[in-house]
Amino acid sequence: MIDLNMTLVAQILNFLILVALLRWLAYKPVVSMLKARENRIADSIQRADDDAAAAEAVLADYKAKLAEASAKAQEIQARAEERAEEYRASRKADTEREIEQMKKAAQAEIERDRERAVEELRTQMVALSMAAAGKIISKNLDAAENEQLIGDFVAKLDKNKIGDLSC
Amino acid sequence: MHEIGVREVVRWAGMTFNWETLCMTWLTMAIVLIIAFLAVRNLSLVPRGWQNVIEMVVEGLQAQMKGTMGKGGMFLAPFIISLFMFLLVSNWLGLIPGMASPTNDLNTTLGLALLVIVMVHVLGVARKGGHYIGHFFKPTPIFVIINAIEEIAKPITLSFRLFGNILAGEILIIILLKLMPIWMPVPSVIWLAFSIFIGAVQAFIFTMLSMAYFANAVKEDEE
Repeated sequence: MIDLNMTLVAQILNFLILVALLRWLAYKPVVSMLKARENRIADSIQRADDDAAAAEAVLADYKAKLAEASAKAQEIQARAEERAEEYRASRKADTEREIEQMKKAAQAEIERDRERAVEELRTQMVALSMAAAGKIISKNLDAAENEQLIGDFVAKLDKNKIGDLSC
Repeated sequence: MHEIGVREVVRWAGMTFNWETLCMTWLTMAIVLIIAFLAVRNLSLVPRGWQNVIEMVVEGLQAQMKGTMGKGGMFLAPFIISLFMFLLVSNWLGLIPGMASPTNDLNTTLGLALLVIVMVHVLGVARKGGHYIGHFFKPTPIFVIINAIEEIAKPITLSFRLFGNILAGEILIIILLKLMPIWMPVPSVIWLAFSIFIGAVQAFIFTMLSMAYFANAVKEDEE
């Protein structure tokens, strides 16, 4: 039952052959596959981390840009308001100046009209006075002396009082 | 019928071989290789079906080996896995009527045990040199006797444990069949079931002890 012979050596060789075959057939592919998967998972995690970091950076970038844009918009708005204010003020000044000018022009025209009226009135009054005086004094005075007389009379009239005349 | 203890021998080139043991060994090898081939036929990065089982086994054994033998012993992984699969299939093969376990022959078990022990010592000297030899003389040189007995006992216990268990199992199967009348199969069935368990346990023990012996030789001291 316990008879040792060359079978012992043969069994050792058989087993070594089996080890070699199994190593080549099964162990290597499984281990390399496990290794490949491990690498793949590590890669995926690394890539996910990178992506997350990149997204973070982009987000920060966008936030900064957004803040910048909002600040710029505020600045633009402020400047626009300022300009509108300036424009309004300048328009107001222009308008006031125009009104002032128009007022002045109107006053000047009124003045001119009044002077013209006064002149006219004076002329008519001279004529009327001449006619009246002529009739009263009749022929003893010549025309030149008459005119002198009436001109003096009219010149003596106060300028302020002329405004009170109803002409 | 199986003749207990009588082996059919062939002589070739002046050497004697146990023919049945050799044939059963080749059959075992074929079965192991077929299982391995079927298992790794369609490997993919996303595991499916049987690949999950194979990966679980390989990763579990690798973790066990890393724990026992350290990183330096990982190159022995194919050897250990092959040993376990070979012994498991061998032990179970004898339970099929008409078949015999290659492990019911001391030539097989002693061959494997000697292979393991020789590898252990060769690796030990190669990896650790004088330090490995020196540890047989610790703590005092007189301990070399005890250590030598231990080292000699290792292959003997390793081989006889497996051989005895498997041979006894097969003998008992035959005896039970002869003792019991044909209408009373219960004891045979119970023993057969127990033999399946024993076959797995013995394969596991042989493999674990081999790993433990390898660990002495290849495990780094600081690990």
